[in-house]
Amino acid sequence: MDCDIVLVGLNHRTAGVDVRERFALVDFCAPDTWAVPCKGNLNESLILSTCNRVELLATGSGEAAEQLLRDWAAARDADVEELRNYVYIHKNLDAVRHLFTVASSLDSMVLGEPQILGQLKGAYRKAVAAHSVGVVLNRLLHKAFSVAKRVRTETAVASSAVSISYAAVELAKRIFGDMHEHSAMLVGAGEMAELAATHLLQAGVREIIVANRTLARGQELASQFHGRAIPFETLPQYLHEVDIIITSTGSPEPVIRARDIRTVLKARKNRPMFFIDIAVPRDIDPDVNSLDNVYLYDIDDLKEVVEENLAGRRDEARKAEAIVEEEVGYFEQWTQSLDVQPTIVDIIRRGEQVAQEEVAKTLKRLGVEDDETRAALECMAHAIVSKLNHDPIMFLKNGTMSQDGIAPRISLARRFFNLDTGCTAKNGSGG
Amino acid sequence: MLSPETSTLLTLCCYGASSAAGIAGMLLRNAAARRWGAWLAVAGFVCQTLLLILGFHKMLPGGLSYGAYLQMLAWFVVLCGIVGRIRFRQESPLLFAAPLSLLLFATSALYLGSLVVIPASLKASFYALHIGALFLSLGFITLGFGAGALFLLLEGRIKSKQRMQGFLQDMPALALLDKLNAFTMLTSFPLYTLGIAAGLLWAKPVFGAAFSGDPKEVISFIVWAVLAYVFHGRLSCGWRGRKPARMAVLIFCLCLFSIIVVNTFMETHHAFIRQQ
Repeated sequence: MDCDIVLVGLNHRTAGVDVRERFALVDFCAPDTWAVPCKGNLNESLILSTCNRVELLATGSGEAAEQLLRDWAAARDADVEELRNYVYIHKNLDAVRHLFTVASSLDSMVLGEPQILGQLKGAYRKAVAAHSVGVVLNRLLHKAFSVAKRVRTETAVASSAVSISYAAVELAKRIFGDMHEHSAMLVGAGEMAELAATHLLQAGVREIIVANRTLARGQELASQFHGRAIPFETLPQYLHEVDIIITSTGSPEPVIRARDIRTVLKARKNRPMFFIDIAVPRDIDPDVNSLDNVYLYDIDDLKEVVEENLAGRRDEARKAEAIVEEEVGYFEQWTQSLDVQPTIVDIIRRGEQVAQEEVAKTLKRLGVEDDETRAALECMAHAIVSKLNHDPIMFLKNGTMSQDGIAPRISLARRFFNLDTGCTAKNGSGG
Repeated sequence: MLSPETSTLLTLCCYGASSAAGIAGMLLRNAAARRWGAWLAVAGFVCQTLLLILGFHKMLPGGLSYGAYLQMLAWFVVLCGIVGRIRFRQESPLLFAAPLSLLLFATSALYLGSLVVIPASLKASFYALHIGALFLSLGFITLGFGAGALFLLLEGRIKSKQRMQGFLQDMPALALLDKLNAFTMLTSFPLYTLGIAAGLLWAKPVFGAAFSGDPKEVISFIVWAVLAYVFHGRLSCGWRGRKPARMAVLIFCLCLFSIIVVNTFMETHHAFIRQQ
């Protein structure tokens, strides 16, 4: 490939949020100015700007990285030297590897989170609309999307919950399975409980009941979840109606005790109950967990689940890195195949030239001028040439997979076919 | 037309492939392999049904071999797995049934030369009521055991807040396992009762008394009593979860004891086997 792939960027590891804000290219993304202009050293370009990273990907020659940095700093009215303190610069295969890692969410703040792939696809769509991507970036981005898909399919890097509220919902699914037949209750109106209730609704729970000390706030929350609010004092009367209870009150004493739940269980004919206690101090008597068909998770239990899930994702990330490495190898083969194209074109042209000359000579010698004979001779000559060229062309193409790389084969082919002198065809043709 | 030998080989292959695909699907957490495992179990069931239709008993003149009974039990276990699959839209009942049926089917080869002698006067109704009802009941008890054991394993992990690792992450929810367990126990009790009643009716002319204190009869009554207890508990006392799951495991263990220990190592007039 006669140009470099260059990636310049900063992310949550190299720059704090204030720096990321300062150098974000969100306001630089009006449809007509989204991509870095392809001028000077740059052939193609694309900008990925999210809350955790800003990355500029381009192909170009010479000082392409420097130009990207200068354009970026200029777009943010900042000093290029200041920007240089926070950025990383990757070239060629390192840039490819980094892009695949980002697309597969292996470089994300929350390992395996799904948003980055959508953001990258969005960035690519905008770059396409701005006509700033060409052969190499088109291929690279499509490859990045397929690598991300492969990582998600072949590893469990994105499979388990890594937020407390989502972990609680995942546990509820392990207990109840289909959530459509089940209802939930929010006791108190903490932010995390709200989030868990949102996840529960998304999972399909039938109804959400809100019990809050301030009834008005309870009603407000209930309307948000299309549920109903009940006075806090009537909580015990409603417990038998619900399967999942999320508590987050500020009460210094437990609001739900094991002895109350024994009675509730009888009324429910032992149908299982899942208690999620997010409050500190805890709202639910820990003895509740010792009852049959009752499951209790407090904030520490859920944190532990999240930690274990994150550790599991980190293990899976190692498998994912091996996939990324394999795909980088495939992409390298493709870029090498770009290097071989001019030589293949030269070989084919040379063959066609020889064929044309020999057909002309033969026709002259035979003294035949009818079109039918000319067409038959041309067809035969081209067939012979293309058959003779087939093996050398395959030899060149297969060179992308050889250990020595493609360069020795290109050099050999050019010498063998005498492609670099101006008089190849005439010298090669016999009388 | 398929010969009994070909059907036998096909059945063995299908159950074997189903077991392998099911186990691989669980260990590798591959849903496609699990689906294949379930379908292969159904294919094995179809082959075995063909084998039954082709009259495999003709392989041994003079009556059914003990091996043939084991094959029938394998057929009933997969039948119950299919019922579980249809009723609960889960592959796990079939994936659980397939290796058990493979084991029963493969073991049956050792006993194809052992004749089970049944008095001629009983042959007609014996299969339909006593054996048919009891084997179907045993199929459901086996399925109930699988659901119960898995429930206890998963429930223990959730209660003790341990992480679900590997194939456990793909297992059905506790509520579903409990429903499957309830379904199997509530179905197997009437069937078992029918099988026992048929046995009592025909025991009188054959052994001289309806109940003669034979070890097989004693263990069968214990199984029936425990089943009745679970049936009552489920329907009248609202039992759910751990307790009935433990009972399902106990019932299956008693049945295993009855089939393996009583029939093989104890003096019983239910061991009809006679070596050819």
